[in-house]
Amino acid sequence: MTLFTRTTKNLIIKIDEFFDNVELGILVFREGIKSYITKNQTDFDRHLLKVDVLESNADKLQRAIENDMITNSILPQHREEVTRLIDELDEIIDSVKSSLNDFNIELPEIPESLNEPILSLVEASASSAEELIPAARAYFKAPYTVREKLLKVYYFETETDKISKGIKKQIFQKMPELDLAHKAHLRYILHHIENISDIAQKAADLLAAMSVKIIT
Amino acid sequence: MILFFLISGLFLGWSLGANDASNAFGSAVGSKMISFRKAAVIASVAVILGAVIQGSGTSETLGRLGSVNAIGGSFTLAFASAATVYLMTKFSLPVSTTQAIVGAIIGWNLFTSNRTDPATLTTIVTTWISGPVLGALFAIPLFMLIIKIKKRSGMHIIRFESHLRTGLVIAGAFAAYSLGANNIANVMGVFLPAFNLHELNLGLITLSSNQQLFLLGGMAIAAGIITYSEKVMKTIGTSIVQLNPEAAMVVVLAHSVVLFIFSSAALSSLLVRHGLPAIPLVPVSSSQVMIGCVVGIGLYKGVRNINFSILGQIAAGWIATPVITCVLTFFSLFFFKNMFNIDVGHKIPVGTDIQEVTVTADPKTSEIMRYLLLGIILAGFLLATYYYFLERKKRKELLLSEEKFWKNIK
Repeated sequence: MTLFTRTTKNLIIKIDEFFDNVELGILVFREGIKSYITKNQTDFDRHLLKVDVLESNADKLQRAIENDMITNSILPQHREEVTRLIDELDEIIDSVKSSLNDFNIELPEIPESLNEPILSLVEASASSAEELIPAARAYFKAPYTVREKLLKVYYFETETDKISKGIKKQIFQKMPELDLAHKAHLRYILHHIENISDIAQKAADLLAAMSVKIIT
Repeated sequence: MILFFLISGLFLGWSLGANDASNAFGSAVGSKMISFRKAAVIASVAVILGAVIQGSGTSETLGRLGSVNAIGGSFTLAFASAATVYLMTKFSLPVSTTQAIVGAIIGWNLFTSNRTDPATLTTIVTTWISGPVLGALFAIPLFMLIIKIKKRSGMHIIRFESHLRTGLVIAGAFAAYSLGANNIANVMGVFLPAFNLHELNLGLITLSSNQQLFLLGGMAIAAGIITYSEKVMKTIGTSIVQLNPEAAMVVVLAHSVVLFIFSSAALSSLLVRHGLPAIPLVPVSSSQVMIGCVVGIGLYKGVRNINFSILGQIAAGWIATPVITCVLTFFSLFFFKNMFNIDVGHKIPVGTDIQEVTVTADPKTSEIMRYLLLGIILAGFLLATYYYFLERKKRKELLLSEEKFWKNIK
């Protein structure tokens, strides 16, 4: 029985740590893009380094959680969904890391007029992913409240889509001074940013189904 | 030769272990809450303890129904019961070892012109009905309680599930203990009057003649659990009783409480001391009590959840099993007596005490039994130690491979 208790406690801590890592990763992403746009290279490098560490930690925790759940046969009836949820959340931090790395390698030139809209896009996309974390935590403690928490995820995801559409229109229809390659590059960068909210929405769909399953 | 006759009883014990142990750990193993190996080890130990510590109560009741006074008779009874259980299981008919052995005893009474005590028979038959009903009555409040706790506690689901797993292990062990205590009479009850073994001193405890037989019977049940119950356990957990872990724990717990009540002499005498009626110490069918518990939960969730055809099948089993075994025993006794000239028992004069019909066994039997039991205990201990080290080795290997993985990644 002591063995069960110890394993359970460790696993709960690992899951919480994993969520913390993803949450911090999203925060770092938001700050990282801000520092890139404001051309603060020192801060940007610091955030890049931080996200690397967080992503690596998340990977280790993900593997440890999956191992623990399988070897100790924890949550046998919901194990598959829980590991899928962890996978989806890990994909968010992976995407955050790859976005910041792309900014670092490709050094996209962002016209001044797009600074504000892009920051709004980052804000909405990151908020969508951020709102997913309390919902995911609630799945383990109060599954009845998961669906209401997910509403914000869907709201921010729709906002992200709207903002992104507006920016793309602006780039392709109102900025003739930019050449096509530059426009395509900016669109690619936008895709990277909005991708985070898309992953959050996918995870939210999964989480909604999981919460229904666990309370019935 | 006398030990040879025990084989049919051991076969009956083996089939009881293979089929009925699934009631104790089926839900836990089927829903993958615990591994089969862990369940088998816990169930085997608990079933043996239940049989040795608390098996005598129900055996006395069976003895009152008919005290088989020849080893050939005991052999035939156990053989006919085991054959009925095997055949009915093969044709997927609901069967209970308890009802089979009662039918066999009545068959023996008819063959040897002994009177079947109507009061004892009524007591036994009444518990076949009251067992599942009691199971349902225990299961409903327990289920309500656990659902309330789950909703209100706000506990982390992994922690809740961990408590549930602990509960399933404890309830499963309790169920296996109660199974041993309640159903050992079916396996060894008919052999008790034919054996009078010397006491066996195991250092810490001394086993009486009956307890030695119960220990052997318990080991046969344990062998059934270890060798053949895996498939049944996995089936129980996934198809027949499709329950969530909370309901599974309630079913196991409620069913073991019922089995315990019908085998606890201490509880019965406590009630008598307080001026309440005594509890009949009767072997009841563990599967049918379990179905009673499931029906109870079904009733709580809504009548639509209940499969009424199962209830019909149980009722048919109540009649069919004792009748078939009774007829089979009668003809088997006739066959064994006339073809092999084996003494299968004789009429007991009215007013004779049960103890007086005891047949004294060969003194060498005690010696053989002593070495047999000690040998099996030693083998069991060695197997358990081997299993423990195997599990430890597996965990160490996993840890090493993980360390290697992260080292290579770096």
